[in-house]
Amino acid sequence: MGATAAVMRGTPAHELERAATPLLSIEDLWVAIPRYKLESQQVLRRIDLEMAPGEVLGLVGESGSGKTMLARSIMRLIPASGWIERGRIRFGGQDLAALNEEELRKLRGRDIAMIISNPRGELDPLQTVGQQIGNILRYHMRMDRTAIRARVLDLLRQVSIPDPERRLNAYPHELSGGMAQRVVMAIALACSPKFIISDDATSGLDVTVQAQVLELMRKLVVERGTSLLFITRDIGITAHFCDRVAVIYAGEIVELAARDEFFENPQHPYTLLLLAAFSHNERLRRYWLGEDETRKEMGPSPTGCPFANRCVRVQPRCRSEHPSLRELASRHFVRCHFPVER
Amino acid sequence: MAAGHEPMRAVAREVTTTPRAAARPAGSGRLLFFLAVLRARPNYALGYGIVTLVVLLAIFAPLVAPFDPVQANPAAYLQPPGWPHLMGTDATGMDILSRVIYAPRIDLTIALAGTLISAVAGSLVGAAVGYYQTVRGLGAFASGFVMRASDVLQAFPVFVFAIAIVAVLGQSLESIIIAVAFVNAPIYLRLMRSQVMSVRRMRYVEAAYIAGTSDREILTRHVIPNAIAPVLAQLSVNIGWAILLTAALSFIGAGVEAPTPEWGSMIAMGFQNIITGHWWPSIFPGLALAVTVFGFALVGSSVEVLADPARRRALAGQMEQRRRATLPVGPAPAGADGGD
Amino acid sequence: MALLAYIGRRLLFVGPQLVGILLVSFFLVKLIPGDPAVLMLGPFATPDALARLRTELGLDGTLIEQFLIYLWNVLQGDLGTSWQTTLPVTIDLAQRFPATLELVTLGLLLALLIGIPLGVAGAFFKRGLLRKAADYYGLLAGALPDFWLALVLIFVFYTMLGIAPAPLGRIDFAILPPEPVTGALLIDSLIAGNWAAFWNAAGHLVLPVVTLGLINAGPILKMTQSTMERMLEADFSRYAEMCGLPRHVVLRKALRNSLPSIVTIVSVLYGFLIGGAVLVEIVFSWGGAGQYAVQGVLNADLNPVLGFVLYSAVLSLVIYLIVDLIYFAIDPRTR
Repeated sequence: MGATAAVMRGTPAHELERAATPLLSIEDLWVAIPRYKLESQQVLRRIDLEMAPGEVLGLVGESGSGKTMLARSIMRLIPASGWIERGRIRFGGQDLAALNEEELRKLRGRDIAMIISNPRGELDPLQTVGQQIGNILRYHMRMDRTAIRARVLDLLRQVSIPDPERRLNAYPHELSGGMAQRVVMAIALACSPKFIISDDATSGLDVTVQAQVLELMRKLVVERGTSLLFITRDIGITAHFCDRVAVIYAGEIVELAARDEFFENPQHPYTLLLLAAFSHNERLRRYWLGEDETRKEMGPSPTGCPFANRCVRVQPRCRSEHPSLRELASRHFVRCHFPVER
Repeated sequence: MAAGHEPMRAVAREVTTTPRAAARPAGSGRLLFFLAVLRARPNYALGYGIVTLVVLLAIFAPLVAPFDPVQANPAAYLQPPGWPHLMGTDATGMDILSRVIYAPRIDLTIALAGTLISAVAGSLVGAAVGYYQTVRGLGAFASGFVMRASDVLQAFPVFVFAIAIVAVLGQSLESIIIAVAFVNAPIYLRLMRSQVMSVRRMRYVEAAYIAGTSDREILTRHVIPNAIAPVLAQLSVNIGWAILLTAALSFIGAGVEAPTPEWGSMIAMGFQNIITGHWWPSIFPGLALAVTVFGFALVGSSVEVLADPARRRALAGQMEQRRRATLPVGPAPAGADGGD
Repeated sequence: MALLAYIGRRLLFVGPQLVGILLVSFFLVKLIPGDPAVLMLGPFATPDALARLRTELGLDGTLIEQFLIYLWNVLQGDLGTSWQTTLPVTIDLAQRFPATLELVTLGLLLALLIGIPLGVAGAFFKRGLLRKAADYYGLLAGALPDFWLALVLIFVFYTMLGIAPAPLGRIDFAILPPEPVTGALLIDSLIAGNWAAFWNAAGHLVLPVVTLGLINAGPILKMTQSTMERMLEADFSRYAEMCGLPRHVVLRKALRNSLPSIVTIVSVLYGFLIGGAVLVEIVFSWGGAGQYAVQGVLNADLNPVLGFVLYSAVLSLVIYLIVDLIYFAIDPRTR
């Protein structure tokens, strides 16, 4: 798999490893949101992540794991009145906390773009597709009207929307799910950003549409050399075109490795649970998932390893001592006291 | 699952042996929270303060007022504010301060009675309409009829309607109360109806229905308690508006008659005086009226927040945030970074 | 074509609704104690004279008969006569209704000018002076009695400062009013080129319009603020922020999406003020339609009340139709 991807990119796989300066660098990020009952809740903990230019990183997590929080924290638009408790985010070497609101605003949509998961709900219902894509061009690139129209049509063609002249005047409620998703991609690509975050962009789409959108994303990223943070709930999708894969659980990164190494040698029990869920091997499924449905209700454990409540391999040490992220093989990080070694 | 019963039984035992200890935190917790809210939101405190003051004045007017409110004293007419008439006297020599103090007795009585009647009657009818309108046959027909009738009533010019009711029933306290009730009832009807319609669609109500609970029980036990929060919020604001309506009716002459002290009729009596420069007979009652209605409006907005669980939680979260921000030692906050 | 069909369907419903409203008004006013014949001729009139007058006024016959006769007359354009003014109601209303409309329209325009910006500011600023000002204004405006505010303004600007004209109607006696075309003095004097009348009428309009504007800005402010807050929390606003669109663009989007609610509250206020401005009309001796109707009720004069109810009901229905057409224009989802 890895060899094919590398060939399609035209670059040897090992050269995709870290460039001199990472494009995005997240150091020890902790994010919290306020809660009714006194204690604010930490939704992200100890996040350390780096992304090279041109790299595709897949981030897998279930609902509530903090993946959307992470996406929005990079943009510094934290929902639910949250705030960054600790840590630093650097983009292109620049510490984002040092930027004022206006500089951040320029960054968003132009250098860092996001493809969201509920396009029809998030597009302005009162404006046409053409107007909304045009807005980005107008305010970030200061193009004049004719130039904008030409570029909008070009973008619509790039995301494979048929009959773009007609679609220019369509309103969001007139679009199908897949079409709206492409429009959102067109918006994200409008200013040729260096970094795109795709937050659960393929969930809720029909499978065939999903495949088309993924193919489109892959093509665009490969052609332009954009970095892509591909956030998803479906671990299988990351096998398609990610260079590295990370798993997030209860606000913490629990495993991070290059794609081939990740799928050949998964080590964290949660990763194995995710992989086993779709396995044909009945024994494997039963072992890793066990009584996961009832255990899932229990939520992350407050002390020690957050996965302790759901882990089939849990030991007393797991509940008392919090595991740190350790590099077990070359560039393969796992946060577990008892990783599943082969 | 048998293991699960044991802890429950143990808890039950504990509860029966120390009932007072278990009951106390809940009640005083709510009161403490309310007081904390008042401290965090001084405008709510202002509203409650005003309303309390007005209610106290209404009750204790005879003890507080310096003069007899209906004692005319032609010799001392149109005296400017000073001593001994702190708010001056009107054209017939009656002390304005005393009249302003006595007025809440009438205004509050009418407003409270009228609003409560309209709220209760309107809500009951509205709940019934909302609940039965999907019942084929009599239910849907009756509901449709009630809604059309309510539409017609609401299409009426409010003032003309209120004055007509008072004219029909004869000018008296009761007729004003009924006029206020009539004018406000459609609001509660619509409100309760839409609440009931949305609560009905909730799963647990459907479950109760399928389980065979009687309609009346579903209504009283499930639907109405959940629908009541916005009605309560509306109630407080409505009382303020009802006071304004009473004053307006009295101003026109279709409400409380002179010489009974009432803010609206006092303003009417001072109408001509203001043009000749004697401002106090009209200004003071109007100020009292405005402040009272303002107080009720503040109380109304506080009820709006406190009765809605989501907003109450958001408020508590904000209060907690501020409390933590002022603590000497706490978790390393990086300030309100990127958020509110 | 679909649009015409829609309007046609709406108009079909108008008829029965109007009849219903008239029916209720008719019986309500008939319940008011007071015999017009006695009120007109005085307590010493002979029974014969009273009976003759009653027949003349159409007061004999059952209530149903009287109502049907009234309805028949209405369909022919005859709204009866007011026994107070001794003029046909149509003539009376032709003079008074535009007076109220002019006042209410200008008042609401001012209310929009005050309410919308303050509401937007209140939604945008989560804290600070402007936010507090917006919150307090909304509450205060709803608490002030309009007739009292009118008196305060008269006291300050007429009695004390002498800038405003006397609150004695729409125009000074000495000025020649323009030919009535629309009934609105401002428009009519512009049409006639009568500048003296224009400025005089404008002067008389200032205080009552300011009174209505200041008070009705309250509900408009509150609705604008709460809707804007909701829109700014909505997904599309967050997305716009994520795309790095400037703040004024995000605000404009939210405001555009708030328009339906604002239009709704304005239409509700409009309908209310046609009869609800009566107190201000009384204070300023405006000679408006609300005043006319109130006098009718207080004196058991049936025809003015019914005429007024009919006019204001028709106006309300027209307003609601216009509002729905505006929704069509603003929101593509309704098409």
